[in-house]
Amino acid sequence: MYSIAIHGGAGAIPADLFAKNKSAGYEASLASVLDESFAMLERGGSSLDAVTAAVRALEDDPLFNAGRGAALTREGWAELDAAVMDGRDQRAGAVASVRHVKNPVDLARRVMEKSRHVLLVGVGAEEFALEEGIALVPNLYFCTDERRHQLASEQEGRRVSDLVPTGAPIGTQGTVGAVALDKHGNLAAATSTGGMTNKRQGRVGDSPIIGAGTYAKNGICAISATGHGEYFIRAVAAYHVASSVEFRGMSLAEAVRELIHTRIPTLGGSGGVIGVGAQGEIVMDFNTEGMFRGARDSRGYREVRVLPGRR
Amino acid sequence: MLTVRALRRASLVVVAAAWGAFAFAAVHAADSKTLAIVIHGGAGVISRADMSSEREAGYRAGLEAARDAGYAVLEAGGSSLDAVTTAVRVLEDNPLFNAGKGAVLNRDGIAELDSSIMDGKTLRAGAIAGVRHVKNPIDLARAVMEKSQHVMLAGEGAEEFALEQGLTMVPNSYFRTDARVKQLERAQQEEKAKAAAPRTSSTGTVGAVALDGNGNLAAATSTGGMTNKRPGRIGDSPLIGAGTYANNASCAVSATGDGEFFIRSVVAHDICALVQYKRVTLEAAAREVIHEKIGALQATGGVIAVDTEGHVVMDFNSAGMFRAARDSAGRREVAIYGKP
Repeated sequence: MYSIAIHGGAGAIPADLFAKNKSAGYEASLASVLDESFAMLERGGSSLDAVTAAVRALEDDPLFNAGRGAALTREGWAELDAAVMDGRDQRAGAVASVRHVKNPVDLARRVMEKSRHVLLVGVGAEEFALEEGIALVPNLYFCTDERRHQLASEQEGRRVSDLVPTGAPIGTQGTVGAVALDKHGNLAAATSTGGMTNKRQGRVGDSPIIGAGTYAKNGICAISATGHGEYFIRAVAAYHVASSVEFRGMSLAEAVRELIHTRIPTLGGSGGVIGVGAQGEIVMDFNTEGMFRGARDSRGYREVRVLPGRR
Repeated sequence: MLTVRALRRASLVVVAAAWGAFAFAAVHAADSKTLAIVIHGGAGVISRADMSSEREAGYRAGLEAARDAGYAVLEAGGSSLDAVTTAVRVLEDNPLFNAGKGAVLNRDGIAELDSSIMDGKTLRAGAIAGVRHVKNPIDLARAVMEKSQHVMLAGEGAEEFALEQGLTMVPNSYFRTDARVKQLERAQQEEKAKAAAPRTSSTGTVGAVALDGNGNLAAATSTGGMTNKRPGRIGDSPLIGAGTYANNASCAVSATGDGEFFIRSVVAHDICALVQYKRVTLEAAAREVIHEKIGALQATGGVIAVDTEGHVVMDFNSAGMFRAARDSAGRREVAIYGKP
């Protein structure tokens, strides 16, 4: 059994996204990322490589809020966060507030594999990127017109959608992520984001925090979260799911349901989670209108969806 | 009919009497509510041989001062949140401990500070990382929790927020002490001598957990991180769930040790999850996480914790941990070495 799930953010889905069939672009992109990363698992590749590749592809796609097309800070910068975790030994790597690294998930992976640290932030993280020979790009590479438009809307007092900017044709305020179980029984999780539109410079959300936005442990589960990050940090969301499975004997679906429909809303937050369990079972749950998501497993299940339905 | 009415009347009297007894018990409990504070000044290789008696006296006095400052807040009816903030601020201002003044230096010789705080009643939290000019990082973490819409701010953005909040800013040299400069030189010589990078040489991190008269828990942690760290390196201290966690439903925890391993193990939340979901005692939960889980990763460190009943835990798998505790039952303790 092997399986993978990916997400491209959760939030409110403006009606016109569907009225004008604009969701097709999102679904096509999710489907191709899903199938390519699933093929890696099929060939015997590791879950760590599959989630890294899936997140890298979503970072490169300007439709999603990570890498190119990231949401902008109140000063108009893209500041990127990412994390990756290996379920075999709970090794982890994360970066926060980087401005010039094309694929933050690759830098997070490098932090895990080549440094003695787990989390590097800002200029220090970019110094490490240069030492590792990772090419830097100007901040403009990440900034799209849709994101500038979205920032302007937010600053004029019009709250933008969690997912798709109101009045702007495309662009999401998501976070992207992937979780997978490979043929060898190993779990892995990865998450990447530009954070929230109009955020303060230096704001760090849940995505790069191990246990909050990202967590993986063999035999238990792999989790990637998306949503209002502050609440996911306070709930220690990803690890809360893992500890509920491990200590309370809950199924992955029950643990995720409690987090998303009780714990997070009680604190006042919203969002969603994708998870894969030790047996390859996939859970995708959210308390928002929709979540860009896709999942596929070796038993023939395949799903790409935005609105509620199925799993 | 009559008998039924009589029975009803009788039962009402019993209920009233029971209510009276309950109310009395509640009032009585309010008079003798448990207050508790526990602090730490870091865990690690602390050997008696390296410690002069004056030096040891200095550590003890520093721990006692921080503990008592925090306890005084509780005794005056203050919140656990104020108590842990006060205790950590006192430790930050003391150059002996690795937080605020006297923080360890990164590989460029600069102090970079991390801290976090969490309110067990509301699960609100604030954290900052990689700040270089904020005199008391714990005050900034508290301001992030109370005055911003965010939980965590890092680097320049965190300092911009500190300026907006009117916090005291100092030059980075304020934090630097001769002892830390020498420690960095030693670490860099060792690094050159060995081909491989040395393991952590962290000595420090400070923290506090407390239970107040309203039964609310809070936790706070502050640190300069590890000596010779990369600029921008963040350890467990400012990460909610790793170095700091508080929840009235379980416990309040502040951790110290090999930060990277504590992040991967989500130490503080793991202890609270064991207490809440596996129904083990606070003591057993801390033991399992520090001696079994962290021990299995060949990492070292310790935790302090308190629950809503005032149970206090100070546990570590290193040679020592600077620690102190005080509660309303008369416990007063300061310790450095030996078995937890």
